[in-house]
Amino acid sequence: MRIGDAKQSYEADEAIWTSQTQKLWLGFFLLILTVFPFAVDSYLLYLGCLVGIAVISTTGLNILTGFTGLISLGQAGFMGVGAYTVAWLSINTGLPFPVTLVLAGLMAAAVGILVGLPSLRVKGLYLAIATLAASVFLHFIFAEWESVTGGMGGLSLEPAHLFGLTFQSDFMMYFIIVPLAVLMVLAARNVFRTRIGRAFIAIRDRDISAEILGINLLRYKLMSFALSSFYAGVAGGLFAYFYRVVTPESFPLSMSIFYLAAVIVGGMGNLLGGILGAAFMTLVPEALKLLTAALTPFYPSAPVFMSPMLEIIFGALIVGFLIFEPHGLAEIWHRIRRFFRLWPFRN
Amino acid sequence: MFRNILKKGRRLAGLGSLVAALTVVAPAMAQDKEPVVFGGSIPLSGVFAFAGIHIHAGLTDYTNWINSQGGINGHPVEYVMEDTAYEVDRSVAVFKKISGSSSPATYYGDSTGFMKAIASELNSQGDTLMSGASFATALTDNEQYPYQFIPGPNYSQMFGIILEYIATQGEGGDMPTVAFVYSDTEFGKDPIENGKARAGELGIDVVEEIVTKPGSVDVSAEVLKLRRVRPDYVVFHGYVLSPINEFMVQMRQMGLDTQFMGTFWSSDKLIIDKMGADADGYMGVMPYNYYDSEESGPMLDALRTQAEKSDPEAGYRPTGYMQGWFNAMVWTEVVKRTLDAGKELTGDNMAESLASIEDWDTGGIIGIPVTVRNMSFPVGRIWRVNAEEGRYEPVSDWIHLD
Amino acid sequence: MDWVFFGEISLAGLAMGGLYALIALGFVIIYKATRVINFAIGEIMMFAAYLFLAFAGGMELSPWIALPLAVIGGSILGGVIEKTMIRPMLGESPISVVMVTIGIGSILVGLVEFIWTADPQLLPSFLPREPVFIGPLYLAPKIAYGFLIGSALLIAYLLYFRFSRGGVALRATASDQAAAYSMGINVRRVFNMAWVFGSLAASLAGVLVAATGGLSPQFGIIGLSVLVVVIVGGLDSILGALVAGVFIGWLETVAGAYLGGEYRMPATFLVLAVILVIRPYGLFGTHEIERV
Repeated sequence: MRIGDAKQSYEADEAIWTSQTQKLWLGFFLLILTVFPFAVDSYLLYLGCLVGIAVISTTGLNILTGFTGLISLGQAGFMGVGAYTVAWLSINTGLPFPVTLVLAGLMAAAVGILVGLPSLRVKGLYLAIATLAASVFLHFIFAEWESVTGGMGGLSLEPAHLFGLTFQSDFMMYFIIVPLAVLMVLAARNVFRTRIGRAFIAIRDRDISAEILGINLLRYKLMSFALSSFYAGVAGGLFAYFYRVVTPESFPLSMSIFYLAAVIVGGMGNLLGGILGAAFMTLVPEALKLLTAALTPFYPSAPVFMSPMLEIIFGALIVGFLIFEPHGLAEIWHRIRRFFRLWPFRN
Repeated sequence: MFRNILKKGRRLAGLGSLVAALTVVAPAMAQDKEPVVFGGSIPLSGVFAFAGIHIHAGLTDYTNWINSQGGINGHPVEYVMEDTAYEVDRSVAVFKKISGSSSPATYYGDSTGFMKAIASELNSQGDTLMSGASFATALTDNEQYPYQFIPGPNYSQMFGIILEYIATQGEGGDMPTVAFVYSDTEFGKDPIENGKARAGELGIDVVEEIVTKPGSVDVSAEVLKLRRVRPDYVVFHGYVLSPINEFMVQMRQMGLDTQFMGTFWSSDKLIIDKMGADADGYMGVMPYNYYDSEESGPMLDALRTQAEKSDPEAGYRPTGYMQGWFNAMVWTEVVKRTLDAGKELTGDNMAESLASIEDWDTGGIIGIPVTVRNMSFPVGRIWRVNAEEGRYEPVSDWIHLD
Repeated sequence: MDWVFFGEISLAGLAMGGLYALIALGFVIIYKATRVINFAIGEIMMFAAYLFLAFAGGMELSPWIALPLAVIGGSILGGVIEKTMIRPMLGESPISVVMVTIGIGSILVGLVEFIWTADPQLLPSFLPREPVFIGPLYLAPKIAYGFLIGSALLIAYLLYFRFSRGGVALRATASDQAAAYSMGINVRRVFNMAWVFGSLAASLAGVLVAATGGLSPQFGIIGLSVLVVVIVGGLDSILGALVAGVFIGWLETVAGAYLGGEYRMPATFLVLAVILVIRPYGLFGTHEIERV
């Protein structure tokens, strides 16, 4: 049992790193992340990159949905804005990737603010529908504004580059994606130590009360939209560099639902949850495929009945977590930690 | 429903025997040469599964057949695949897995989206030649996709073949009129611009263009639009089944004598099976002979024997099966030509071998000798549904575009 | 302008709108009683249509027996969903409940693929095939008869809710749950009945829509159009569902015919966006007043 964790000042309470052990574990985790690309094959490396992108986008959506209580079905659309921005910039200006990614984030944030505007008047589910409408319009623009987006065929772009380095392989991309993911999660962690972050949480818990406390609802809601879309835009930009082709069909509605599911399964309003959820949801199909491969020798028709299973499992995860574990994987993680921390006593 | 489940059970059993070995392991051959690997991202599930299952069967059967013939120049062939559910990111994952573990010489890609997304990786690796389920026009751009080819005419060329057929059907110097109906997808929009240009060259009037969502939609308003212009031909593209049936039934109810035509993926037996008598007269462009056509040839016979052997219950084999088989045939030819020239199996060498294919006799899979142009086989024939017989019958000669 | 053509297009659109109104009615019944926005309504429709396919196509029952069986099957499905997955969420935030229905939608898609595979299907045709003329205007027979069957159920529903005991209980629960409870209305039962009735309307509409447009596991997409209808009409207004259903059906078809198929969704969503900005609670919906 770990003892002596009593905080003696507000700074200590607000600190990101609350204990030595935590720093140790985090250092260990970062070390693993660094060693990972050198140790694994191209398949795992690819999955690692996918998880990294998903973590960024999920963290963004978590800020909006988990922390501010505004549900969005437009995440894929915002990612699309980021992806098209990167694609267009890299084709037409040849700017290096840090610039294009930031611009992608800003562009998505601008669109996010625009979409968030109705949040002054509508909220809850009506807002979700407004974001749905936004994603329909965005898809339409991606498909029809041919001079900029290349229409249905989309855009193909060159690999990301910086200082003469080209980031062509997954191995190189990993060193853009993962550090960026770590950085953006830490940034989000910091936001929730500030007035802004706390205002988000106040709005989520009861918006009218928050307003009475002097929080400008529209301003903070839009800020939340902007921040969340910024994350989505950067994730979309990375997506563009990763696959090097962007088409309107790359960002379907199901993708928005995927990210919502990741937030829920991971744990709404919990950054660790976002990370766990993103990784978990990205890896479930692959895990299922492993299971299928393992079953095939015994049940030869396994591939056929296992694949609809994915759809069922996806839905069941959403429903199951909401009913039985509303705080998501993060809560399970905490429980496990608590168990070890309190061992040999029961919690 | 019971019958349905029974039917499905049979289908599962059939597939099961195929999937049992996810890898069709190469038999040990006397020379003990290194195996040539065919890789594949195959959509065994998801929206494209109806074709994917048969594509997989075609590839598997071909692999077994070629190995029974002694492989390629004594090299045994190995076919390695995984299911993708027709999702691009999962297809890419499968490619990375397979290319990492068994370095395939050739590879089957399951969608245009995948083929585009993997292009940069493929180009930088430069040791795999890829083809697949996509006939997208964009992929015949050699600059951008030097290692990807189309196992038939691309969609624009299919439109070219259809339009050339239509042009021959004018009576007394009157060119027939045509309307294009296509889905609001990348797939659907692919050949439309080129199709319109080609129609213009041939002097065919494109009197109407209709875009719909793919799949289940109400099309009565679109049918009314067609009724106003009364086209002689309606060409569908970007659908599998719906709403083709609805256009045909409703336009015939209106008493129009329009002819209906479609491209590769909307020209399978599925149309006949689901529509029954309503399918009569529907025409499709098909680069391969149908499994149950009256044509024959050494390779076509071998295909039928092998199909019979692998699953005696199956009966008719859909176009996906022919497509899978033909892909593997081209790969074999390319690998053979490259090895014969004493070169290594790199993307460049194989692409060169592919481009050298001229007046190639496909043994009856395609009725005439074919020549590769811009990484595609621009050949096809128009077939018409005979609903009573439950099959497609040829109504044109083979058309080979230049 | 060709007025005959416009008339024919409008007629086709209005007939489709009638089916939208029926689905929207199912949606509104569920919302009024239980305050749940049911994103799975498209999938419930799809499931019922597949049931019809199984009964009429697979078991070769007469379509007129298969239709009621499929509709009953769909409504039982609604009841089961409410009992097992919606009731445990009672009192949770609306966002969570919505996500549960999205999850249910995904489960249903998986089930359908599991039982019937992902192949595209056509329903056996069971509606008369002779063209229908209204004055000089042509109307496709499938949508004409579909509209008639749909309207019959719609009218039955309206009468039921107006006059029957169950209907009064439902309206009472909708307007004040606590009061209804204290007057001896079994609110749980009302919740369940709302899901059963709502799914029943959706199921019938599902079979009719699938009969005109074909069926596949992606069928549930139609739920998006219905969402537009109910938001425009007002989530808790039956009148709104009817008016908006017919209007959106008409608009979608006219936009598709004059502008092209790619404009169908943007056109209706544009109306939706405008409504959200000027009348967030829909044309006929109740403006909720919030107190801290």
